Amino acid sequence: MNGINALLVKVGRSVGGVVGTLYQAGRETVDTVIRNVIPFMAFISFIIGLVLTTGIGDWIANGIKGLASSLVGLLIVSVVCAIPILSPLLGPGAVIAQIVGTLLGVEIGRGNIPPQYALPALFAINPQVGCDFIPVGLALGEAEPETVEIGVPAVLFSRVITGPLSVVIAYFASFGLYSSN
Amino acid sequence: MKLMIGLENTVGDPTGVWGAFADGAEYFISIFQRGGEVLLSLMGGILPTLIVLLTAVNALVRLIGPEKIENLGVKASQPGLQWYPVRYMVLPFLAVFFLTNPMAYTMGRFLPEKYKPAFYDAAVSYVHPITGIFPHANPGELFVYLGIAAGITQLGFGLGDLALRYLLVGLVVIFIRGIVTELITARMMARKGAAA
Repeated sequence: MNGINALLVKVGRSVGGVVGTLYQAGRETVDTVIRNVIPFMAFISFIIGLVLTTGIGDWIANGIKGLASSLVGLLIVSVVCAIPILSPLLGPGAVIAQIVGTLLGVEIGRGNIPPQYALPALFAINPQVGCDFIPVGLALGEAEPETVEIGVPAVLFSRVITGPLSVVIAYFASFGLYSSN
Repeated sequence: MKLMIGLENTVGDPTGVWGAFADGAEYFISIFQRGGEVLLSLMGGILPTLIVLLTAVNALVRLIGPEKIENLGVKASQPGLQWYPVRYMVLPFLAVFFLTNPMAYTMGRFLPEKYKPAFYDAAVSYVHPITGIFPHANPGELFVYLGIAAGITQLGFGLGDLALRYLLVGLVVIFIRGIVTELITARMMARKGAAA
């Protein structure tokens, strides 16, 4: 009898635990979606509306068409984003990368940029990722102040090399992506 | 609208100054109507999938327990060539997957000081490539990928290929980035040590 009781308690506990975890996960998700995802969707929708309705879209298209549909153009974009003084300014919240990504997406959708450039473009617009956050990120990793002092310029300089390099890697990795041959 | 006007066109379009104002107002509101259509398509298209996916992965992470990867952090701190891929590919991937942005960077505490900037560099560079398939890792910054992906969707192509390549190329890039940053850090530390 005791054995059965213990089993029942055990089953009840673990089922309760799993259900509680799932429920908690759902609550956390809805929280994130309302606080982080939907506000950004609203903002992005406004930008897309503006780009598609007004002439801004054509103006941007002329500007970025040359840059975003050749390897050299994308390399130029990545070098600019990786400049050690600019990169911390472009970083916060990845807002710039998200806006540029959206604009590029619109132009890909309109046929102004070939779709196989989507992959290298994802890297070209993002060499500055996290450059604003280096001291905080290192502090989260419990780094000494001396490490932070060296780590900030080390990461910034590393991006000058690895930013354009990532575009080249992505360019070669994009062969056969969304092309008929 | 046009049909109705054709049947009983008793009121002409406004002309003159008021006509210009009316056109302007219509144009103004059309910007936001278009934006609203985009918002609705995002909410109807991406959001339901995203919510279900986030819930499932969040539950999975909770059931597994993020503390499980701490052992790997200790192992990854060892010197030696074979630990480079662990430190700058496997550990950043698991850290970003289980701890998400920005808590992933706390895994750096298991590493010696000389590896911390490189690990941060590798981890932070992965918070966007991972969102193509696992958006739970960085739900606040989805539109780096989603923005570009929207164009691909509009052309009628599937996203699986792009998302997978983004994920894999991202791994290669963070590996290289980790190594390069580690080298630069070592260089700068040596120079500072010599100067002091």
